[in-house]
Amino acid sequence: MDALCRICCIPAELLAKVPGLGPIIRMCCTSVGQKVLMALTGLALCGFLVTHLSGNLLLFAGEEQFNAYAEKLHSMGPLLKMAEVGLLTIFLAHLGLAISTTAMSRRARLKQYAEKESKQEAFAIPNGGASSWMLLTGLGIGAFVLLHLVDLRFELRPDLDYSSATQDGTDKAYATVHLVLSSPVSFVAYGVALILLGIHLSHGIRSALQSLGVSHPRWDKLIEIGSMLFAWAIALGFLCVLGWVALTG
Amino acid sequence: MSSETLNLTLRVWRQNDPDTPGRFEHYQLNGVSTHMSFLEMLDVLNEQLIESGEEPVAFDHDCREGICGTCSLMINGKAHGPDKATTTCQLHMRRFNDGDTVTIEPWRATAFPVVRDLVVDRSAFDRIISVGGYVSVNTGNAPDGNAIPIAGSQQEVAMDAAACIGCGACVAACKNASAMLFVAAKVSQLAILPQGQLERSERVVSMVTQMDDEGFGSCTNTSECEAACPAEISVSNIARLNREYLRASLCGRD
Repeated sequence: MDALCRICCIPAELLAKVPGLGPIIRMCCTSVGQKVLMALTGLALCGFLVTHLSGNLLLFAGEEQFNAYAEKLHSMGPLLKMAEVGLLTIFLAHLGLAISTTAMSRRARLKQYAEKESKQEAFAIPNGGASSWMLLTGLGIGAFVLLHLVDLRFELRPDLDYSSATQDGTDKAYATVHLVLSSPVSFVAYGVALILLGIHLSHGIRSALQSLGVSHPRWDKLIEIGSMLFAWAIALGFLCVLGWVALTG
Repeated sequence: MSSETLNLTLRVWRQNDPDTPGRFEHYQLNGVSTHMSFLEMLDVLNEQLIESGEEPVAFDHDCREGICGTCSLMINGKAHGPDKATTTCQLHMRRFNDGDTVTIEPWRATAFPVVRDLVVDRSAFDRIISVGGYVSVNTGNAPDGNAIPIAGSQQEVAMDAAACIGCGACVAACKNASAMLFVAAKVSQLAILPQGQLERSERVVSMVTQMDDEGFGSCTNTSECEAACPAEISVSNIARLNREYLRASLCGRD
């Protein structure tokens, strides 16, 4: 692990020599800087979720509109590829930082308490204790993303007949989405993953804003409520799409 | 009316030195007055142990009025016991019931190694302070009061941060053993005031670097520290620390 860290540090050490970048690179090597990067990558992924959900909601508009949207998206060619690579990089950076900060925190307490209880009032624990489950919910979401890519990006699920959703030699996105989401395996896995996403975001967004220093006595309560509403709006939005597609088969 | 005395079973962490593995020992303590403080109860336990020829339990204490930050103790899994805004020395035995088993552990963090029994070495905090938790001023006559105008509201916020007694309960309560609340309080109390401006950027960078070097964990924003803090330091100070650190990294001198 330490050898891996040293290898990862080489580009950082080189970048730190660029005039003006030194303090920023040094910041990224500290616990505070890593949480800032986690916040920025997490919020960027939230931005992606908003665009993804906006696209998915077009399913409600009908087959023609959704297929037109999908074709328009795919016609972007290299731009879409760049966006995919960028998204993957952000996702892997978020995951890497989570593992790095978790490792730091594990090392910080090698001997656990025989008894440990919270001093927060049960109802006041932020987001019902979602913060204790960030790595697990995050890894669950990561596993779901892999399944989702196999299902709909690469269309490699062995138990599904993708040819049934093809018309005139081209994929029809609307039919493919219905084919995948109608499978019981997808329905259950996607449903569980979206609940995990809601739990993850319900702490993640508020925590990201705190890590970026966004806090003010006047606004804190509103930020907390807004973060929670945003988190569950995203999760419920996707769940609605899942439920509707499964019901309409 | 409840009984004025308690019979308790104490489950106390005993450890001879930093390198020897520790273990829990059970002690029966009868006739504990409910008017005693928690530390007085431990004094009585130690008298009992000395009378029976055993080693007394080592624990940190000094002012015994909630100011010095010397006492610590994880009591039934809670830093400084069950009460909010209370140090162990201010905790009264009336908060316990007759027949209770009370588990007493030291703070647990890699950066706070156990010295003996319930005593931990908190010099990591001193080292964090020594790299930046001060203002450099010329010596000489004391400056006139109100020579530097500071708004009352600003003073109040700085004073709230300065209330930190450095006991380490934030580290003890945090699931990551993070010292962010402590460092945030020490950075905030100076960053808010004009006297702290000269060393503002260097201070936050040095203190955060030292905090990491000491082996504290990262902050997951769970607010356990705020709930455990006997001085009720707010986690809004952690947001200020993050802002100060970002500001220093983006705009401070290279």
